[in-house]
Amino acid sequence: MHFIGKDMDQYLSQKDYVDTAVVPLLQLDLSEAGLKSSAGASEYLQSLTALLEKQFKGRILLFPPLAYTKSADRSRLSKEISDEMEKAGFKHVFYMTTDAEWRSVEEMKNVLWLPAIPTEHMDKNFKQSVMEDQLRQVLPLFLKEWS
Amino acid sequence: MSNNRVSRRQFLGYTLTGVGGFMAAGMLMPMVRFAVDPVLQQKDGGDFVLTDQRAEDITEEPVRVDFSFEQTDAWYVSEVTNSAWVYKEGDKLIALSPVCKHLGCTVNWAGDPEQPTQFFCPCHAGRYEKNGQNIAGTPPLGPLDEYEVQEQDGYVAIGAVRLNTLV
Repeated sequence: MHFIGKDMDQYLSQKDYVDTAVVPLLQLDLSEAGLKSSAGASEYLQSLTALLEKQFKGRILLFPPLAYTKSADRSRLSKEISDEMEKAGFKHVFYMTTDAEWRSVEEMKNVLWLPAIPTEHMDKNFKQSVMEDQLRQVLPLFLKEWS
Repeated sequence: MSNNRVSRRQFLGYTLTGVGGFMAAGMLMPMVRFAVDPVLQQKDGGDFVLTDQRAEDITEEPVRVDFSFEQTDAWYVSEVTNSAWVYKEGDKLIALSPVCKHLGCTVNWAGDPEQPTQFFCPCHAGRYEKNGQNIAGTPPLGPLDEYEVQEQDGYVAIGAVRLNTLV
């Protein structure tokens, strides 16, 4: 489910079934050198999570990307967001990111780090198949966590 | 010249009838047009989306066929890609929607290695028979929806979604 009003009604009535939260973590880099790759990573991350949501619509709640700057204190961020997720009662929480710095944040469990693939020059069908390949790498991680 | 002269009274009578007739027609025409409009409306029955799956390659084993169309959400037009599970029963093409009737996940054919002839939903282990019938004891409460499907120039074309007619 998406984090939108219409889906929230369904979420509230089916809370037992929707036990997994997915939070994309997105680094904003607005410097001239980093702008383009930051935007590309954002595009990649959002396509991938949208595809993931389509596959697992009935079990995951996909949150909007949590955006922060390069200098953000990631351990503080991770504590805040995971506390909030815990309070909301999610049994499983996945964080998906293309930002390599999360790999050194140890408090956070279930951070799926994926290298961003620039998709801007791909044609539509090719992009679709690339994203599905990416999705196939992520799916087993979810199934493993659930089983 | 003719002998039967038109009297003033007759002339006025004809003129008034003629003008009145035009006025009445001017009022009635739009009303009639509005009334019959639903009948004249073009049916969107031809709304089949052509896929790049050849119809002759379809067997009795369901395969995933993707198709895309434009969807308008308020002012935002986006290209949506959906898929269908298509297989043949005899010579008839059958296309089932992959959307689980429980909470809307995407089901897979033979997604559960222990049940190779069923559709499987990975979210809450819902299962369906090949014809879309949900298996009792699993979470889904109804059969998978069906797509209208036809063959166009040798390729599979997928139409509107409807309730399952196979079970």
